[in-house]
Amino acid sequence: MLRINNLVKSFDGERRRRRNSPSAPQEARVFAVNDVSFNVENGQLFTLLGPSGCGKTTTLRSIAGLERPDSGTIEVGGRVLFSTKEGKKPLNVPANERGLGMVFQSYAIWPHMSVFDNVAFPLQVKKRGDRLGRKEISERVMRVLETMELANLADRQATKLSGGQQQRLALARALVIEPPLLLLDEPLSNLDAKLRESLRYELKRVQRELGITSVYVTHDQVEALALSNSIAVMRNGNVVQLGRPREIYENPNCRFVAEFIGTSNFLSGNVVSKDGDRYTVNTVDGQIVLDSAANLPMGTDVIVSVRPEAVEVSTTSRQGEVPNEWKGTVLTRAYLGDSLDHVVGVGKHELRTRGNPTTSIEPGTEVYLRMDPAKLVLVPVD
Amino acid sequence: MTTASPAVPARKGATLGWLRRLGTPKLIIIVVVAGVIGYLALVPLYYLIWGTFFDANGFTLGGFARAYGDPRVGGMIGNSLWFAVGAAVLSLVVGTALAYLNVRTDVPFKGLFFAASIIPLIIPGILYTIAWIFLASPDIGLLNKLIEPVFGPGFFDVFTVWGMVWVEGLHLSPIVFLLMVAAFRSMDPSLEESALMSGASRWQVFRRVTVPLTRPAIVAAVLVMVVRSLESFEVPALLGLQNGIYVFTSRIYFVLRTYPPDLAAAGALAVGLLVFAVIGVAISNLVGRSGKTYQTVTGKGFRPRPMELGKWRPVMGGVIVLYFFLTVVGPLLVLLYTSLLKFYQAPSTEAFASMSLDNYRQLFDISDAMTALKNSLALGLGSATLVMVLMAVGAWIVVRSRIPGRQLVDHLSFVPLVIPGLVLGLALSFVYLRSPIPIYGTIFILLIAYCTRYMPYGMRYAVTSMHQISAELEESAQVSGASWWQTFRRVLLPLLSPGLLAGWIYILVVSFRELSSSILLYSPGNEVLSILIFEQYENGQFTVLAALGVVMVLTLAVLVIIAYKLGAKVGLRQD
Amino acid sequence: MNTAPLSGRRSGSPAKRALASGSALVLLLAGCGGSPTAAAPQATTGGGPTAAEKLYTEVNGMTGQQRRDKLVPLAEKEGTLDLYTSMTSDVADVVIKAFEDQFNVTVNLYRAGSETVLQRIVQEQKAHYQGNDVVETNATELFDLNSEGVLATYDGERRRMVPDAGRQQGWTATRFNLFAPSWNTKLVTPDQAPKTWEDLADPKWDGKLAMEISDSDWYLTLYGYWKKKGKTDDEINKLFADMAKGAKIVKGHTVQGQLLSAGQFSVVASNYSYIVEQAKAKGAPVDYQPYVEPVIARPNGIGLMKAAKHPAAAMLFTDWLLQEGQALLVKQGLTPAIVEGDDPLKDVEIIPIDVEELTKNGEEWNKRYDQVISNGEQVDGN
Repeated sequence: MLRINNLVKSFDGERRRRRNSPSAPQEARVFAVNDVSFNVENGQLFTLLGPSGCGKTTTLRSIAGLERPDSGTIEVGGRVLFSTKEGKKPLNVPANERGLGMVFQSYAIWPHMSVFDNVAFPLQVKKRGDRLGRKEISERVMRVLETMELANLADRQATKLSGGQQQRLALARALVIEPPLLLLDEPLSNLDAKLRESLRYELKRVQRELGITSVYVTHDQVEALALSNSIAVMRNGNVVQLGRPREIYENPNCRFVAEFIGTSNFLSGNVVSKDGDRYTVNTVDGQIVLDSAANLPMGTDVIVSVRPEAVEVSTTSRQGEVPNEWKGTVLTRAYLGDSLDHVVGVGKHELRTRGNPTTSIEPGTEVYLRMDPAKLVLVPVD
Repeated sequence: MTTASPAVPARKGATLGWLRRLGTPKLIIIVVVAGVIGYLALVPLYYLIWGTFFDANGFTLGGFARAYGDPRVGGMIGNSLWFAVGAAVLSLVVGTALAYLNVRTDVPFKGLFFAASIIPLIIPGILYTIAWIFLASPDIGLLNKLIEPVFGPGFFDVFTVWGMVWVEGLHLSPIVFLLMVAAFRSMDPSLEESALMSGASRWQVFRRVTVPLTRPAIVAAVLVMVVRSLESFEVPALLGLQNGIYVFTSRIYFVLRTYPPDLAAAGALAVGLLVFAVIGVAISNLVGRSGKTYQTVTGKGFRPRPMELGKWRPVMGGVIVLYFFLTVVGPLLVLLYTSLLKFYQAPSTEAFASMSLDNYRQLFDISDAMTALKNSLALGLGSATLVMVLMAVGAWIVVRSRIPGRQLVDHLSFVPLVIPGLVLGLALSFVYLRSPIPIYGTIFILLIAYCTRYMPYGMRYAVTSMHQISAELEESAQVSGASWWQTFRRVLLPLLSPGLLAGWIYILVVSFRELSSSILLYSPGNEVLSILIFEQYENGQFTVLAALGVVMVLTLAVLVIIAYKLGAKVGLRQD
Repeated sequence: MNTAPLSGRRSGSPAKRALASGSALVLLLAGCGGSPTAAAPQATTGGGPTAAEKLYTEVNGMTGQQRRDKLVPLAEKEGTLDLYTSMTSDVADVVIKAFEDQFNVTVNLYRAGSETVLQRIVQEQKAHYQGNDVVETNATELFDLNSEGVLATYDGERRRMVPDAGRQQGWTATRFNLFAPSWNTKLVTPDQAPKTWEDLADPKWDGKLAMEISDSDWYLTLYGYWKKKGKTDDEINKLFADMAKGAKIVKGHTVQGQLLSAGQFSVVASNYSYIVEQAKAKGAPVDYQPYVEPVIARPNGIGLMKAAKHPAAAMLFTDWLLQEGQALLVKQGLTPAIVEGDDPLKDVEIIPIDVEELTKNGEEWNKRYDQVISNGEQVDGN
């Protein structure tokens, strides 16, 4: 559906292109997007996830046609929107001819128009030949407003909506032309936590019901995990990991991803033995055994990522029965409602654990930590 | 368009494609607007520069020597700067404070703002200044007579630099007011409310949040004010000369008075102003350009809600009334009073007994009065509309486009501000006397002159508004499939409308006063009101002049009210 | 623009190139026509006399009714007269109306300050644009116009009745503006009123005397008069310096008159007598009589354009203004050039402005006067 190949956008690209000197020194270029490629299948919700400045928004805006990349290709449903293939004429379809839908971070609702007019606008500005009649426009708009539960506010001034209503209005406006691709630029970041959660499910529902292919940009990993069919984690203009939410969460391929997605304890050490998939890693506070498909030679410096929920905390020892039992002291605990965290000091390390709230242990108590080898992730040192 | 493709059909195809691309409305509009701005600015600039640096024998700097060689030039520049900066600061403080109170707070007497913001603009400079002489001259000032029992004679002295700053500052403050009202109106109050919630006092909010957010408008205002005051002639001539306070423009006046006019020296002085103005424009763009900082019109809805002043409300109300009396009622009363007399005399029973409407009757006897009113209206409405439409596109080029050289458009649009009116008149008559298009001797040459003169103001109003509009509002229209022109017309223009309307009103009002180029360019049948004012002034008919002033104030006030009422129907709606 | 770029990459969008070419066009447009401010060419007539000049020469020799009979039908055939003047509008309106009533000629009137009238005519003549047939303005500007070579020779019995000072090459005086001190009668009793020009230097007027900023012609004439009367340069300079000491400097005779009525100052050194007369007629407490002698007179005159489109009308108007028009000017409170019958100024000594000196060294006198009124140190040699 959406194919992005070798997309490159550098900050000084604009100037360089004008000077017509492709031989500008490579190191002088600062890349916003550096050779990004990915495909999105029909009906999928694809998320670009990363901290600010990672290039996710630039990628999205390049798809929308609001930025002009230096090179690469962008294709939607077989239609080439942007291309700089060697030897061919560069092609760049203007944003207003791409026919995509987009929801902006600030919603970009036109404050001088009513709710109805905001949604009708994309239909009204279509080329004369493709434009619908007044009545059909009105019907289409009302249908979309219906879906978004805004129909009763159609005549209201757009600025007089609540935050959630504005967000739904922005979505309605993006969807009214029934675009092949929907682009969402941090659409929930302006909302309060409660509303954000309910709209997240709303968004997912609409996306699933309409079966509309979407690209979603966010820096919020919870949002990404909850919504996406697949996720591309970006950093410094590169995609560092691409996969389904579960893969990304459970098997981060580097410390950056592990750190960015969810919370993790990181234990550094080196590989001392390898038996099939079972590795033994030496850390300053003891040995850890874990399973990993990675192929690492002996002596490699590694990091073991330990998710808090992969650590079981107990006042009793099962030494010898299970691997990876460490002894430590509870430093603090935090009640989170649906779970309870303990921070446990082990030698030089502090490990965060997460478990059922029924297990609550006084700080200062000696405890035993057990880490399931199957749930530990071996991450190569960057 | 690949490497060396000599095949004829290919090239033909390429050229055709290029032409077709060129034919898009966006390109046509941009090229036309940039071309018009360039043309309007370069014609007088070229004339001025040529006259400054070249004489019959080629390149020369003699003009500079004559302009700056005067032994008093140091003191003159000092006086000029003191006067200009003082007037700019006063007008800025007064205009901004009033705009803020009007838009952002629940201050009482909001109706008065309207009058206070417009009327000083309408009253011709010479009348406004003379009215102040009658009010605050140490010898005959009415205000001085009023407070003499308490403060002794001659407490106020309008014939000082401070007096000049006062009169000029008040006369200019409406420009700032209009500019800042537009800026405040399109600002999301939540930006202030959040600061208030962080525990800041109202004053801190104003200083730390409101003012920084409206910085582009403020910088624009300072720039226009300083240049305007540096160029101002009436106030320094009538108030300064009396005590020998000479300013820059006195020089320009002197060098242009001789025959043949010393264009080189006048040009040298104008070039000085130009350098200053270009630096100012650069600074204003630097300030406005820092990304999204000033985009206060975002796509997030907001409800403009006035801030409650609480216990300060009556105090502020008092300040408003005081200001209103000072800038509007005082001078206007003097005018009204004068217009009913046979000659100006201090109020007395005798004076009141002699009052009549003779001056108004005489006004209607002036043969050209109706023609002049009609012409002035046509020119005012025409130039205001043309300039604001052109500058709306011009501002887009400067602020939003990525076309190289866009800054040039901004600089060019600013050029006419520093060109003396007489030089503009000479330049235009020079060009159109030789143009095959028969414009000379028609009203269109005046239209061109007015558009040129008011282009800088239009551009400042438009650029300031453009800086405030979030780019996402435009991008979302683009992504929705709207062409550039559709985006411009349906999204940008309505959002710009508060600023554009303010600029429009400003130009309409001041165009009624334009004299220095009109007087050279008008022809029989194309008289305008300012010519009439000049004639009455030359005739020594000061009382008739006052009557004319009163009539102008009334006419324009009505026009402006209509404009505001219409303007309220488009753009951001107010609660 | 019509050659395709040879390099592989496109140089910028069409918009950019179009903008660049647009500004080039503007420069080109503005650039045509060479130097706009180069020294004035000796305008118009390259070869022999113009058609207008031929008519002027023919009529110049005629007198009386014969002359009038020749001009009227020709002028009425021409139908219009384009007049440029610096005459104030109240006077001009009366004059034009009387002329139009008497003859079947429509007058197109352009009115401005004398300096502007001069600028306009010079601009138009340089471009070979015949805007006016006849000009009526101040002596100084007429001198300049004559040296530009645009004024034709006028002669006739009426011209010969004008005093010497008013018969100049290319133009003929029509009226005189009289410079005389004036005073506010509420502030100055008849006893205190100045009797001689020297009285103005009296310290009693310090802070009460007003001088006008551009009256250098008055200054140079009075200077020359005193010089002739045997005063030394030092004495004269001291007199002016004493006058200027504490003087209030005003721009514009009208403002000066207005402020005198209002009592802003007690005495004005050099105002036009007609301005004071008008105010006095309305009842303002001002006076200028008995005259301080000698009264200094600045001639205003009329000149025929060499390239007039309506030469007969121009000549008729000139004749008429020197004949019937003179009485009208008197009625308007002006001082006519030709005195017939009872002369109200019979016993008053009148000296005309030294126009020769003014045109020769006007610039220097400007500077000197400038120094005087700014209480500057005395001018040195240059």
